Amino acid sequence: MTHERPMAGTYAQRLSALPSGDRRLLSSMAGAALATLALGILGGLMTALARAGFVAIVPETAYRLLTVHGVSTFFYWLYLAQAALLLGFAAIEDTNGLAWRRVAWTGFLAIIAGFVFSMAGSHMGTPLLYDGAPDLAADEPRMLLLFNLGYLLLGVALMLLPTAAIATLLAPRREGRRDRLSAVGFALFAWAGFLIVSGFAAVYAFLPGTLWALGLADFPTTHSTNWHILLHNMHYLPLMATVLMWYVLVQLLTGANSIFGERFSKLVFTMYLVFVPPTSLYHMFLEPDLPGIIVTAGSILSLLVSVPTLTAFLVIVMSVERHARANGASGFFGWLGYLPWRNPAMTAIGAAAINLAFGLVFAFVLIQGELAPLLSDTFFVPGYFHFFTVGTVSLTLLAALAVMLPALRNAELGRPSLLRVMPWLATAGLLIFGGAGVAAGYLGVPRRVVEVGYGDATPPFWRSLMTFVAAGGILMAVALLIFALGVAATLLPWRRTSPRSAGPTVDWSFSQPRLDAAAWLGPASVLAIVAGMYLFTAIGFELMQSLPIIASGGGGH
Amino acid sequence: MNEDFWLVLTVAAVWALLAAVYALAPWGDMIGYARVWGFGSLLFLALAALLFQHRPRHRPKEDTP
Repeated sequence: MTHERPMAGTYAQRLSALPSGDRRLLSSMAGAALATLALGILGGLMTALARAGFVAIVPETAYRLLTVHGVSTFFYWLYLAQAALLLGFAAIEDTNGLAWRRVAWTGFLAIIAGFVFSMAGSHMGTPLLYDGAPDLAADEPRMLLLFNLGYLLLGVALMLLPTAAIATLLAPRREGRRDRLSAVGFALFAWAGFLIVSGFAAVYAFLPGTLWALGLADFPTTHSTNWHILLHNMHYLPLMATVLMWYVLVQLLTGANSIFGERFSKLVFTMYLVFVPPTSLYHMFLEPDLPGIIVTAGSILSLLVSVPTLTAFLVIVMSVERHARANGASGFFGWLGYLPWRNPAMTAIGAAAINLAFGLVFAFVLIQGELAPLLSDTFFVPGYFHFFTVGTVSLTLLAALAVMLPALRNAELGRPSLLRVMPWLATAGLLIFGGAGVAAGYLGVPRRVVEVGYGDATPPFWRSLMTFVAAGGILMAVALLIFALGVAATLLPWRRTSPRSAGPTVDWSFSQPRLDAAAWLGPASVLAIVAGMYLFTAIGFELMQSLPIIASGGGGH
Repeated sequence: MNEDFWLVLTVAAVWALLAAVYALAPWGDMIGYARVWGFGSLLFLALAALLFQHRPRHRPKEDTP
């Protein structure tokens, strides 16, 4: 039986030793991902400033900026970065680098072409927002064609790029050199499969509108349902990527392997895929004619949605805690001080774990059948999901790139001492943005509206809350941009030096974890999340019962 | 055959079951769900087949550090 090699200290060497063609492809993908992130951040920042009244933008331009923000960050940044990391970590599971590199290049070029089409579509005609609803473009088929071509190419790319990763992961088995995948290799394999399915979902959602725009089919009437299928995958995939990157980065930064063993880790990563289809029902809660039994079943099944994430979180935190205690750490929180916090990647995943807790608390409030119709069209939604998209996923993907790129490029991060503060600054901004946003949602402030004052017809505190949203948004945007620029600095040719390590780390790979020691921080964190869910659900129900209205859905999730 | 094969096959089976439920559901227009999860089921079945096909016929050398 084969065993996974100890990871600490080897990832950087293996990345650095990849063939130059692999390193060129991975660096190009990472650079393109960071560029789409920067563009998306600017679009989001301008939207937040407009909502607060800090800048005067006509509504159509503001919706265009919101479209650029959503398309660029939610689709291209998140998926380019995921593809780069998937291929990069798949390539170093074996010694021969990437298999089917041409397929990967084709996928990368397709995603770049898709981005160009998406941006062109975002800047022309009626702004469609990131879901590209064809109803808004019923009189502009050419514009819809342009916009949809972007997502179609993205969908094709999401089928090609993971195929190269799968071929890479299977190569050692095909050649008889290994009889099983490592835990990380298995997770990458499952992640790649899920990406291919999501690429198919993107094609399935946007092909009917494209055919209509070409005059080859009737006007699509099922876009909303098809979009919800894609959106469900697009919610789930980045979280799977996040916990997988935590698993990899913790091994790299501390040398701590899972105390539960590789098979259990594989089981946890499989749970992600097992729970994806049955938990998708809650996206339909806004359909006004949904039968009651489906709402009930969807509510019950939605409780499973965070089980894999919380289980993986427990595996990682308890493993690290027991390794730290074996190396002299003590106290309920004291072991946290043993982690390599001088490394920007460590602070990024530390902040990401805190933000995940906030995101989960509010997500469970939103996906309940009774509350979803009341809150889904309010600012509660952007208030809570930025805890995931920015605070959890983007920080984690940036942390992984902050480890991968210096090794690939033999280059240093830009100003690492400054970078390691940025995740905390982004989290502070997020707490202001998300706190004000969630409060605004509870109080009825609508989302996707640029001017919330409605000519002074709404309560004055609506605008005050949007001022806090903008202030938090500025902090978030600045912190994230600085971190992204520090990572992108590794791509500058003149920063290439001698081979670099992954930055400050600790190495617990040679010590046995203390299995007799208590490791309570992980379970206590989960209890705190459950308590938070209960508290904010109770607040939601109290508010709902105090309102003189009956909420009913409008299908606008 | 090891856990890699069985876990991927489990995913294919669960997705196939859910695709069938969505395809046969008497409420709403759920055929899109059925097609996407059905495609996923076939994909993971193919991946399980690849894991089965590429199993080493002899015991590989220990891959020790």
